[in-house]
Amino acid sequence: MADSTFLDSTELVLNMGPQHPSTHGVLRVILKLDGEKVLGTECVIGYLHRGVEKIGENRTYQMFAPYVDRTDYVAAVSNGLGYCLAVEKLLNVEAPPRAQVVRVILTELNRIASHLVWLGTHCLDIGAITPLFYTFREREMIMNIYEKYCGARLTTHAFRIGGLQYELYDGFEQDCREFCDWFLPRVDEYEQLLTGNRILVARMTNVGVLNAADCKAYGVTGPMLRAAGVKWDLRKAQPYSGYEQYDFEIPTGVNGDTYDRYLVRMEEMRQSVRIIRQALDRIPDGPIMAKVPKVIKPPVGEVYVSIEAPKGELGYFIVSDGSTQPYRVRIRPPSFVNLQALDKMARGALVADVVAIIGTIDIVLGEVDR
Amino acid sequence: MRKLLRRIFLIDLIEGLAVTFRYQHPKYITTEQYPAERPKIAERYRGAPRLNNHPETGETLCIACNLCALACPENLIVVGSERNEQTRRKELTTFTYDTSRCMFCGLCEDACPVDALELTQDFELASYSREGAIWDRQMLEEGPRPARYKY
Amino acid sequence: MATTSWESELTQSLSAQFGDKIVEFCSYLGQNFLIARPEAVIPILDWLKTEAGFDYLVDITAVDYPERPERFELIYILYSFSRNERIRIKTSVPDGYRPASATVVHPTANWLEREVFDMFGIEFEGHPDLRRILMPEEWQGHPLRKDYPILQQDQAWVRENLGIESAQ
Repeated sequence: MADSTFLDSTELVLNMGPQHPSTHGVLRVILKLDGEKVLGTECVIGYLHRGVEKIGENRTYQMFAPYVDRTDYVAAVSNGLGYCLAVEKLLNVEAPPRAQVVRVILTELNRIASHLVWLGTHCLDIGAITPLFYTFREREMIMNIYEKYCGARLTTHAFRIGGLQYELYDGFEQDCREFCDWFLPRVDEYEQLLTGNRILVARMTNVGVLNAADCKAYGVTGPMLRAAGVKWDLRKAQPYSGYEQYDFEIPTGVNGDTYDRYLVRMEEMRQSVRIIRQALDRIPDGPIMAKVPKVIKPPVGEVYVSIEAPKGELGYFIVSDGSTQPYRVRIRPPSFVNLQALDKMARGALVADVVAIIGTIDIVLGEVDR
Repeated sequence: MRKLLRRIFLIDLIEGLAVTFRYQHPKYITTEQYPAERPKIAERYRGAPRLNNHPETGETLCIACNLCALACPENLIVVGSERNEQTRRKELTTFTYDTSRCMFCGLCEDACPVDALELTQDFELASYSREGAIWDRQMLEEGPRPARYKY
Repeated sequence: MATTSWESELTQSLSAQFGDKIVEFCSYLGQNFLIARPEAVIPILDWLKTEAGFDYLVDITAVDYPERPERFELIYILYSFSRNERIRIKTSVPDGYRPASATVVHPTANWLEREVFDMFGIEFEGHPDLRRILMPEEWQGHPLRKDYPILQQDQAWVRENLGIESAQ
């Protein structure tokens, strides 16, 4: 028969293990390779599973709010917003207008912070080391605003059920405006460093292509869906917390490859600054907390509320049985569902492209594993 | 033609390098020399817990109402009290706070009705043993004493 | 649950198509859902995707009600881009029942059903690759069931793989 020597191409199974600088957390990807080309991938997750949904069944509604921040730890304020909106819908209360506007400001700052982490680490994986330092310097300014407002930089626990706990500190508006004025030229600087750069263009175009039909089939949402050409954003389609009052655009891409996702997220940062400026102009006076009882016991029922987190559609499905503790809390994580598309995108690519694709899906393992 | 010249002479890479070289100016240094210069912490920062005393009489402000222990998601506060027969009030005897499991969420600080329990700006909470991280009443009133380094 | 009833031309076409396979159409706090019999869920998903434009499966999850005879309640949440509408399909299955897998209709159900299997023990018929996804492979027990206490761990697995006696 055929003389097969060890030089014949057979499949090589390579483990991109849980400890790896480019997997954005403890993600294990088992690659089946033919030389340098990827034939198939398999993701093994669960290294960061902490049982947050089980904890939710054993804590009261107010006590569970700090745990929710720790799922998507890069963008903790959005998680808090989704949870508070879900419980408020169960209780059938609405936060007062002043609380809603401040929530929008903090959530958009959070979106910028999350995209800055994405930009820094994604470009670091591709090989551009410098943008990481610049993006984290901008993130320091946002963290300082959070620290002055609610007391913690990362796991903020900023929102309470029914509104806000803390009144705005003196100088909040000025800090936010200074940040917006400092930040917009920085985005242009990042574009100068990265967008026209031939190395980046060569490494990102036609890598990880996911067209619109595949996105909808795999349930992928967020910037990945918009880069494929579908102009859909939950802030415009089903607005929450007063988003219908603000004027912003939804950036879309054409091909659905990594370069388009990069451009979509850069443009989203600019649109977020636009929303923050509009919101700062119209903070109304008034109470910051709605009439919510001290002991929260929602009526028996269930509700599903989802928001547009920086990574996609983040949903909370809460079942209440009339007692002070929820009966079931289900967190629908965008990164978990988006990560399924890794296999589809990585077939036929090279190993170095797999690193770029994992970076462009923008996963946070705390959210994937909960 | 212009695109060809841009490609040959590496103009796009040089534009990126121009940004990097502009940042070499010393006014852009953002590094804080940590043990020598302490960072500025905001007033609302949720750091180490502290039991406050009345500023004039020096007695503890805590009325042993146990609301902080009930509010804690991790159940790590234990408040011991005994009833004083003369004043008919509860007096605080022991107060235990487990900083190794604390998430610094601030729910205990929000629950305290008399502002006795407060989360301060201290963030240097390291200890050499697991038992050392469980603070009793005296440690809570004084605060942690991190080592000060002199150069 | 204080539900109100839900009437629209979607419910009329659904009841014309499926008749008594759909038990009830309800709505709670403005969110519409329908309760269906377990064997009809996949045909309903298929019909909704092809005829009504509900092409995006948002989530599959389950809730455990141990005192009911049909212990688990499976919940499918769907969204339609063209109508901008979200509906839920709920069905009750007893312990040991193997519902059909939704991967033939929506490929995104792959990992979502693996997670429901891992956490609740509901096996899906026809799933291409049904194994545990969040817990380790050899773990015994299904954590999100109500009879699994919060401090319980699989002691055999911990002893073998971590080499310690767990303190919980």
